[in-house]
Amino acid sequence: MSTPNPNETTASHGPVTEPGPLAESRAGGGSTSAEHPAGHGDESHGGLGLYLAVFCALCFLTTMSFFTYSSYWPWRDEPQVGWAFMMAVSCTKALLVVLFFMHVLWEANWKYVLTIPAAMMAIFLAIMLIPDVGLRNRMVAQERALHMARPADLLLLERAANAAEGESHHAGDHDH
Amino acid sequence: MNASAASIAHDAHGHHGPVLQYQPGLPLSRGKLIMWLFLSTEIMFFAALLGSYVVLRFGAAVWPKPHHVHLSEPIGAFNTFVLICSSVTVVLALEAARANKRSLAKIWMLTTLILGGLFLGIKAYEYSAKFSHGIYPAAPRGLIYERPDLYYGSAVRARLSDPAIIEQMKELDARPESELTAEEVTGRRRLAQVREMAMAVDQQAFDLAVIADQVMPLPNEAAGGHGHGGGLNETFSWLQLPIVIPGGNMWASTYFLLTGFHAVHVIVGLIVFSILLLYELGPKHAGMIENAGLYWHFVDLVWIFLFPLLYLF
Repeated sequence: MSTPNPNETTASHGPVTEPGPLAESRAGGGSTSAEHPAGHGDESHGGLGLYLAVFCALCFLTTMSFFTYSSYWPWRDEPQVGWAFMMAVSCTKALLVVLFFMHVLWEANWKYVLTIPAAMMAIFLAIMLIPDVGLRNRMVAQERALHMARPADLLLLERAANAAEGESHHAGDHDH
Repeated sequence: MNASAASIAHDAHGHHGPVLQYQPGLPLSRGKLIMWLFLSTEIMFFAALLGSYVVLRFGAAVWPKPHHVHLSEPIGAFNTFVLICSSVTVVLALEAARANKRSLAKIWMLTTLILGGLFLGIKAYEYSAKFSHGIYPAAPRGLIYERPDLYYGSAVRARLSDPAIIEQMKELDARPESELTAEEVTGRRRLAQVREMAMAVDQQAFDLAVIADQVMPLPNEAAGGHGHGGGLNETFSWLQLPIVIPGGNMWASTYFLLTGFHAVHVIVGLIVFSILLLYELGPKHAGMIENAGLYWHFVDLVWIFLFPLLYLF
């Protein structure tokens, strides 16, 4: 919207551009980025009100994902529901931070050039781990299987805990 | 092209000599461009870590519940809140600097620094809670065994046969009951049982599970409580017997790697903020604050995903 149109300036002035939109010409060299190109317009977009609204939304969403941990969460027996819910909440929070706090909402189209390839590579990277790492327990050497924890171990420990609990209750009765 | 540009510039400002001016390729400053390029590499870095964690976790036969490894959800949620607050303060610092409110910008920057420090402090407290339970990423300090099997049994026997431990146990046995707390009295009785079971010749698989449960019980999720009290390792801190957490070793490796790398990023952010505090935070340095802020928001972003994945899944 408010980005400078380099083609226009080039057309009317030849290869030399107006000094206005140049960051370097005003920054004075070494400094990382003292000022932004005029007309780029990312100075004070949000304002306090917007930032506080985003902050409240983030706090609310954190409470929502924490809600899955509370005893009021109705899907305690189906953890997948909670996982999907929490990921949705996390993605929403991430989007809020990126759009408003990182000002991406007001940036020009270069934002897609940087974020979309990185995001795609990130997703492919995770997917490529599935065959070798995710499915590693489909075929397991006997030696490894010997030392690997299995759900049966959890059951065994649970039985031991129940036995100990019964015993301590019994001991408690005995004391009285 | 450059030559013609120079000549035109020369024509325009005769006595200034040739002035070369270039159109930036992207409508943003170099510092910000480089920060965004750096952040896109960071996206892939953390995507690799988080992706491996998710894939390892869901590919594992058994993965410990948060309570099995002494994770506290409220502490994690509070840390999330702290980081979100620090993200807001850094944005406010940027706004204040752009509006040339230098002292206000400095206050917000200092608040960000304090909040980041608070996050690290809470993280350190959490780490120490893990360490005190013998949960380390690796041997020799790590006490985690995957299952209550013969290897676990022999590790318990080895620990109980350690001369220093034998000495401590003798001392414990010699103390009169009146000197001990109620917990220590039952603990002593249970320790005697465990010693007997660990040294027994006709040991059964169930006995080993009972030993593991006595040393460090896994909290019962269904009951919502913490099982039947702390184990022997908690009653007698010098004991440090091997513990059984199914899937615990892989959990510890991933947990310490993910949170450790995140903590390193937080530390780097705090160093950057400390350096920024040395400057006058006016419009001249708003670009620096913006770039530091972009980095800090990214650190916050990573935690937004880490918190549910580590604490609530």
